[in-house]
Amino acid sequence: MNRRQVLWAGGATVTTALLAACSGNGGTSAEPAGADAKPRKGGTLRIGALGRAGAITRDPHGTQANESDYLIISLVHDTLTAPGAKTNTAPRLATAWKASDDLKTWRFTLAEGATFHDGTPVTADDVVWSLRRLRGTPSGASRLPGIKAANIKAEGARTVVLVSDHPNAELPLLTRLTTFVLKKGTKDKEIGKAPGTGPFKLDWFRSGNARLVRNEDWHGGEVLLDAVEVKIFESPQAMSNALLAGQIDVASNVGAVAARTAEKREDIRIVRRPDDMAMPIVMRTSSGPFADPKVREALKLAVDREAMVKQVLSGYGKVGNDILGTGDPAYAKDIPQRARDLAKAKSLLQEAGFDTSKTYKLHTTEDISGLAESATLFATQVREAGVRIEVVKQESATFWEKTWLKGDLYTTYWGTNDSVVFLASKTMVSDSGQNEAAWDSAEFDAAYRRVTGTKDPAARAKVLRDLQRIEHDESGYLLWGVADGIDLAAAPVRGLPTLPGYGRVQLERAWLAR
Amino acid sequence: MAGALSGTARRPAAGPDVGQPRPAGTMLARARRVGRLFALLARRALLLAVLLATVFAAVELLPGDAANATSERGESAADLEQRRALLGLDRPVLSRFTDWMTGLPSGDLGTSARGESVADLLSRPFPNTLLLGGLALLVTLAVSLGLGCWAALKPGGGADRAVSATATGILALPEFVVAVALVLVFALWTGWLPAVTLTDSDGSPASWQMLVLPVLALAVPQIGWNTRIVRAALADEAKAPHVESAVIDGLPRHRVFTHHLLPGAMPTIAAGIATSTGMLLGGAVVVETIFNYPGIGSVLAGAVADRDSPVIAGVVAVTGAVITGVLLLADLVRAWASGGRT
Repeated sequence: MNRRQVLWAGGATVTTALLAACSGNGGTSAEPAGADAKPRKGGTLRIGALGRAGAITRDPHGTQANESDYLIISLVHDTLTAPGAKTNTAPRLATAWKASDDLKTWRFTLAEGATFHDGTPVTADDVVWSLRRLRGTPSGASRLPGIKAANIKAEGARTVVLVSDHPNAELPLLTRLTTFVLKKGTKDKEIGKAPGTGPFKLDWFRSGNARLVRNEDWHGGEVLLDAVEVKIFESPQAMSNALLAGQIDVASNVGAVAARTAEKREDIRIVRRPDDMAMPIVMRTSSGPFADPKVREALKLAVDREAMVKQVLSGYGKVGNDILGTGDPAYAKDIPQRARDLAKAKSLLQEAGFDTSKTYKLHTTEDISGLAESATLFATQVREAGVRIEVVKQESATFWEKTWLKGDLYTTYWGTNDSVVFLASKTMVSDSGQNEAAWDSAEFDAAYRRVTGTKDPAARAKVLRDLQRIEHDESGYLLWGVADGIDLAAAPVRGLPTLPGYGRVQLERAWLAR
Repeated sequence: MAGALSGTARRPAAGPDVGQPRPAGTMLARARRVGRLFALLARRALLLAVLLATVFAAVELLPGDAANATSERGESAADLEQRRALLGLDRPVLSRFTDWMTGLPSGDLGTSARGESVADLLSRPFPNTLLLGGLALLVTLAVSLGLGCWAALKPGGGADRAVSATATGILALPEFVVAVALVLVFALWTGWLPAVTLTDSDGSPASWQMLVLPVLALAVPQIGWNTRIVRAALADEAKAPHVESAVIDGLPRHRVFTHHLLPGAMPTIAAGIATSTGMLLGGAVVVETIFNYPGIGSVLAGAVADRDSPVIAGVVAVTGAVITGVLLLADLVRAWASGGRT
């Protein structure tokens, strides 16, 4: 199971999520032909999610290493905003937000009539207390970057004000995923049973498994399911078996291997959530054999993207164009897709004086399925352009300690494929904390500052395109493709989310046709 | 170790009557017996302590540490250092181990890298694993005794050859192969039994049917192993003079079997079963993953990934205690059996 993905998604990086209108098809999955059009109330949905017994956490602001925990917490507690289908930030507990002219001060308005599960109304004080608590966690600084705890304030009962240290047009994006709201003053030891404001109330929780019942008074509209039972699974294989044997109704984020098994089963639906996971190859730009932009371009031209998607992702994904954030509504679809060109790759290598007699190491891990396979296939493909690569698989802890952020050539993975800016800010701006390719481009930095400092959406989209062009041409990322998130569902399940990443936890519109 | 006990537990042909003054010699013998028992226990405890120290050392040798392994991507170096200090990882491994060991007698198994009490962390899954392993042990014992005896009744007969060949075949099968085959046949194709174990609100398996396949997956390879041991022990014992003389005396066959053959074979069988305990608990790690069984296996696997020494050592300590207990029991059985014979 992909610990890291979940780790950073749950935490450091606000993550994953959402996707976007350009590739998504709305908020719910494609339903089988002849499906009832009219959602029906009632029933209990049994959903499996990956998790490890030793990593169970109940704290909404803790490190959610388990998808099962994140799912449970997301159903009980609302975040301020949420992943959306048409825009990458949708309302949740906050129904509206507005920035000051300098894009530093953001005012969030809380939902009318929002209450905790015990009936008390949600106030701005509760939200401020929760956000400050979140900010105070070890990774608080990366979860709410640029926002000091003292700059989170209440204005009246229903307005929360966030003041950023620097102009940030995409600040609401940061409040989508881990900004779970608890009642002000909730004690640490009460957290497991603390009332939330979400669509479901906790009935019981035991060893990572939980039963949640409908919150009749949810501010976000009518919830159809009577209850959701979350079952924790250590392995995708066991989870897929449970679904095939009818013991659960949904196997959440179970992966392409399980989808292949289920393809033959007519009673099982494969729900694809596009733009879920990018597994780019990182080339170090500051030093080493790939510092020359010509060499990087040559490798980008040497990879056979279609073959990668077909073989590594079993076809459950799409080709990438070396720009991270493929699910962003503002993703630059008009930048020509880079295709395989071995002749050009070879001549670029020659121009750059690249030493083709040497063998270069490509480091990878088996943290998520397909990652190590992508490295192996890539090595085979670039061999045709004369580049010799030896794949070195590292054990996860070693990889993150020794290779990540330091290596010349390695694989990585990211789930926040709904926002070009988010990934740029995390991984490509020269002073970003996770500058994986050690990229330092004054031109890119300037483009980034223009994007986050431009208030008018149309003008921002234009500078965002500039940023993507620079990224496409020069960055250290070779993004050959993006994997779909894959859930398996039993036939009667309707209304499952199709958003990538943590969009999948939005079960409030799901229902059962039986 | 077994030898130390086998002499002591011998039942006296006629015990002293209650109320009669005991001869000094008997008192001394009893004291010596108790002393030996304690010595044995102490030796086992020492062995366990060495094992636990090895666990701490082994985790230390793995790349990365608990702070690193449980960090979030993007956590800063300063945050990491802070958590490292919080977890005590900046102290030498020896002092961490000593701290952990001194808490052990009071049942304090320390705190996990994620801040949970290890004792709490193990309190639910460990009984589940004991249930799974215990049932598998019972099934192993019953089936291998049955099969082994059946095969031994007519040495070289059809049953003997079939049982021996099958036993050899399945003892070579790893648990995961057996498990996957069982799931395919009994859950996915026929739908007779659940494919995985789901838990109830109390954290235990939701129904008894969910135990069937995991128990079988664990027991089958051990049945193969123990059937051969039973068969061989009975064959050896059949050549023993007292059995031969019993047969010559014309005792009924079943009486020879139950009163002469089986008791003599018991020590070997007990030793075989005792060895299986360790194998069963080891196999549980794999089987629990395949069946999503809420046991200690998943805790252990996660703890290794997290470099979480207190949790790994905690698992080793409790399973080690169980295995030590079973070995002790096997020793007692051997002692009793050999004592009963003379």
